[in-house]
Amino acid sequence: MRSVFPVAADPGVDLTADPGVERLLAEITDEPAGGRLTVGDERVREFLIAFSRRLLKPDLARRHPELGSLGFFLRKGELARAVERLGDGVAGQRRAPRGLVLHFPPANVDTIFVYSWALSALAGNHNIVRVSARAAGAAQAVLEALNDVLAEAHPAIAQTQRMITYDRDDALTGALIGACDLRVLWGGDQSVTELRGHPIRPLARDLAFPDRSSFAAIRVAGWQASTREQRRAAVDGFANDLYWFDQAACSSPRDLFWIAPTTVTAAAPTADEVTADAPTADGVTADAGAADTGAADARSADAVTTARAEFDELLAEVVARRGWGVDPAMAVEKHVATYGLAASGAATKVRFNGNAVANVSLAGLGDVQRRWLGAGTICHLTVGSLAELAPAIQRKDQTLSHYGFTMSELDDFVTTLAGRGIDRIVPFGRALTFAGTWDGLDLLHEFTRIITIQA
Amino acid sequence: MSVFTLPQPDREAQLLPRLVELTERHRARSAAYANILAATGNDPGRPYERISDLPWLPVRLFKTHELKSIPDDEVFKVLTSSGTTGDVSRIHLDKAAAAAQTRMLGRTLQAVLGPKRLPMLVVDTTAIIRNRRSFSARGAGVLGMITFGRDHVWALDEDGRPDLEAVRGFLARHGGAPFLVFGFTFMVWLHLYELARANSLDLTNGILVHSGGWKKLADQQVDNAEFRRAFQADTGLTRIHNFYGMVEQIGVVYLEGPEGASLYCPDFADVVIRDPRTWEPLPPGKPGLVEVISTLPESYPGHLLLTEDLGVIDGIDDGAWPGKRFSILGRLPRAEARGCSDTLVGAA
Repeated sequence: MRSVFPVAADPGVDLTADPGVERLLAEITDEPAGGRLTVGDERVREFLIAFSRRLLKPDLARRHPELGSLGFFLRKGELARAVERLGDGVAGQRRAPRGLVLHFPPANVDTIFVYSWALSALAGNHNIVRVSARAAGAAQAVLEALNDVLAEAHPAIAQTQRMITYDRDDALTGALIGACDLRVLWGGDQSVTELRGHPIRPLARDLAFPDRSSFAAIRVAGWQASTREQRRAAVDGFANDLYWFDQAACSSPRDLFWIAPTTVTAAAPTADEVTADAPTADGVTADAGAADTGAADARSADAVTTARAEFDELLAEVVARRGWGVDPAMAVEKHVATYGLAASGAATKVRFNGNAVANVSLAGLGDVQRRWLGAGTICHLTVGSLAELAPAIQRKDQTLSHYGFTMSELDDFVTTLAGRGIDRIVPFGRALTFAGTWDGLDLLHEFTRIITIQA
Repeated sequence: MSVFTLPQPDREAQLLPRLVELTERHRARSAAYANILAATGNDPGRPYERISDLPWLPVRLFKTHELKSIPDDEVFKVLTSSGTTGDVSRIHLDKAAAAAQTRMLGRTLQAVLGPKRLPMLVVDTTAIIRNRRSFSARGAGVLGMITFGRDHVWALDEDGRPDLEAVRGFLARHGGAPFLVFGFTFMVWLHLYELARANSLDLTNGILVHSGGWKKLADQQVDNAEFRRAFQADTGLTRIHNFYGMVEQIGVVYLEGPEGASLYCPDFADVVIRDPRTWEPLPPGKPGLVEVISTLPESYPGHLLLTEDLGVIDGIDDGAWPGKRFSILGRLPRAEARGCSDTLVGAA
């Protein structure tokens, strides 16, 4: 076990094995200098504000743009609003910290641990964060920034906020888990399940953020009503959502639904698919569906075809402008994944637009893809309405990023969903923007408990 | 009759129609393959002017999907390979395909071994084929080769230690005339070379056939040139033939020619080196991804496979044997995503 925050003045100080974990737990549960931490504690606020300023300095923000978003998230005003929303002291309700919170953040999304830790600290908790030993890039920059601003901070911070790293060690993990009041588990289903194998204390709670899947949707009529510039901006945002974290984040869209009223589904392929799909394995042509398709359907299919063509063109522009590409290994990965979808019949069409973009046409709603298929893989499906999409949504589904819908259409969609799934609905470009409410949970609420008072 | 006879223009002319035929054959017999062709715009009757225009499959697809062109009741043998990531290719052969692959492998090796079976020194341990649990790709490779020799002697004992007495006995009986030595490259280097050098064994009459790549020897700074130099200087062994092949194209070995510099394609096979950015074929001297091409696969759609190996064409119709000659340069790393689903390695 090694402390990465605070970094001891003597870097050789190693909080190793047995006395290490006991000493760590003893120190962190001790009453801090200046008294116990409170909800919205001033000492914590000051530290977070200093940290936010550090993150927003141009040098850091240039090198790691994602740290800019984090910096904004932790500005003084944002923190004040967050604490105020908690409603501590309003109408016979008070809020108290939960106590010791233990965080197991994901190894690969560099900065997510900072959000959950910062909110938990703001709530007045003592925190232990297990940082991945693979911490690099932005995560490393975050740790440096934290240690930088610690010098000016109140001593209670170093005492109550710890970030550590260690190799696999079940005994240590068990000891930490056995001591906490709230355990925050990020990561794949498997690691969440594995960590849950260690018992928590009877009064302790779990907050788990396991594997999720996310989609995007465009309302074709909304797209048609937009200007070229609006469409360009939409695709720009979508491209961000797609390529950040190599499209492997929980919120990265895997599928793109084209919502067009007169539905043209698998039985009757969309116009652009008719040509490619006409010959089937046994040599029978599949144009019967197209012949049955009414004039309205044909028009609708036409609109989707036109919109998709423009979307492809704009996406290629963004990718070229930003110089985004994928390396040969990723290109091979995408071929394996998309050819596999074709082999099983889930995809009726696979088209690469360079190596950066793989466009897959899905056969139907039963073939919606939730697993990672390589950076820059879009599974397209034309669906008549959001309501038609609703039955295909699962509890695991997290984010729907959208373009061309009105607030009431989205609200109606949530009604139709009737709790099946989806935790957040955001415009294109915001899929990966972290918020205080995540996976359906108001984090600051979760990091506190409620004390009710009746006089 | 040698299977290293076709100059490139003749090879292209002979293989192209046969490969188109195979594409149609597999389209008709494998729904999964037909789906892929349809989805990627390769409709029946589409004209193909060059071998490199034909649609390829990523070789890893055999690890993720069952791709075969024979009904279940005709499956005679299922070959598997263990990959580095634990997933396994499954290659389905019917009787005819199994026979064809052995026959063609034999004919290919005759180019360096001659028409008669030679006494064979296997640089491995019998444990690798005896112990069913460790019956690995290495075991399968050894079993595949063993039919091409006679009077086999194993150079390693049951525990995997070099068996000097066994090797000495073999050389005493057979060392005076041509004999076959087979093993995986790193085994041959770590065990046979060291043993022969330390004990001044004479391997002058040996014909070494080896495969498996240089990765495991990289930290010892051993490449093909050093391997050949050391064997010649310290054991007298000069007839050394590396080969390149994979279970997904069983029956095909790309064999190092007598000059020992490049790999050659047998007449029923070819390679295309592709630019991994444009997927266009690359000319000699430009490294890219290796596509292996063979007319053997009739029971599964493995006639045109894009590997994850990097290679380069060294020359065309300018070497010891006709056709393309090429080298393998290494392996493409596996793509890794940095998402939040892939997390907490060694967490608990």
